[in-house]
Amino acid sequence: MSFRFGKVAAAGAALGVAMAASVALAHDDLGPIPNTPAGKAAAARHENFKQLGGAFKAIVDQLKKDAPDKAVIAANAQKANALAAQQPSWFPKGSGAESGVKTDAKPEIWGDPQGFAAAVQKLQAATAKLQQVASTDDMAAIKAQVQATGGACKTCHETYRVPEKH
Amino acid sequence: MRDVTGQTAVRARLWDGPTRIVHWALIVLIGFAWWAGETGRMDWHRLAGYAVLGLLVFRLAWGFLGSTSARFASFVKGPAATLAYVRTLPSRAHKAVAGHNPLGGWSVLAILAALIVQVISGLFSVDVDGLESGPLSDRVDFDTGRLFAKWHHMSFSALQALVLLHIGAVVFYAVYKRADLVRPMVTGHSRFEYDPGLRFAPLRRALLVAAAAAFVAWWTAKGLRL
Repeated sequence: MSFRFGKVAAAGAALGVAMAASVALAHDDLGPIPNTPAGKAAAARHENFKQLGGAFKAIVDQLKKDAPDKAVIAANAQKANALAAQQPSWFPKGSGAESGVKTDAKPEIWGDPQGFAAAVQKLQAATAKLQQVASTDDMAAIKAQVQATGGACKTCHETYRVPEKH
Repeated sequence: MRDVTGQTAVRARLWDGPTRIVHWALIVLIGFAWWAGETGRMDWHRLAGYAVLGLLVFRLAWGFLGSTSARFASFVKGPAATLAYVRTLPSRAHKAVAGHNPLGGWSVLAILAALIVQVISGLFSVDVDGLESGPLSDRVDFDTGRLFAKWHHMSFSALQALVLLHIGAVVFYAVYKRADLVRPMVTGHSRFEYDPGLRFAPLRRALLVAAAAAFVAWWTAKGLRL
């Protein structure tokens, strides 16, 4: 019996090693960053979007809890709104794939500037309202606005971001 | 061996009800979870995942507490036995095994291992926007949650490969060895040279283990908060 369990454990350990090895690959998603304004802008944009994702996650984390920390929600709603306000400056011309960075920003961003600006404004309106409801005690309203903000992310990504490859 | 009608001597019970239910329910739920995940129906994807978690916990426990043919101790074989079995594969004669054959046993373990990784990685996964996530994702930061999501995708590819291999093996047995492995997994019965004398766990025990597994799944879905 113990001999057999030993083998199962070995198989599990092998799987663990494989997963650990993938850590090294997973963080390598942007490729080398060219030392150019466009390259730096694309890399900075990636970092900013991660900040935005982190702020949303921090809010969602609280909503999962029985007693959400309102201060954390309010602080991250404010952070998300501030980041959304900066968003138009994250996409200078030339910071698409032509910058040399492995970016998921599609050429449509610069090909359809009006459509893209409208999509960004939708997000800004959503995060502004999120910041506003986050200062209230209305958890249902906060949850609903997080959903609405997610919708703004999604509709923009459908048109202007390369779909995630699995 | 076979008589002239191609039938072996006795019909006997092989797979118990719980094992069969887990098998077919996993297929439906994993297929559904795949569809829901690909089409962005993440509420449904999570629900299906919790159900898979419950089935997985049940099946792992059933591997120790269940009927003979469901127990790991009955079908996990060492390299020598596995190799000896592999050598019999080219022969077209099929010798019915009262449970998983040594190679099939490893296939079961591999699929269960892939499912464990699949379920655990899903619990901690965070989507690219930080808006959709598993019930335990608040325990990890954004980057780690994204890493779990990558593993979730990778282990699903592994699972798909294992399922294809499994189906391929079933087809191989059906076509090359003229042995129907699907029917026993539906009816629970198969034909053997002689009654293998398997022991079957009582229904009461299955219900107790199922209740415990359901609790684990429910509690995990609640983020391990009571």
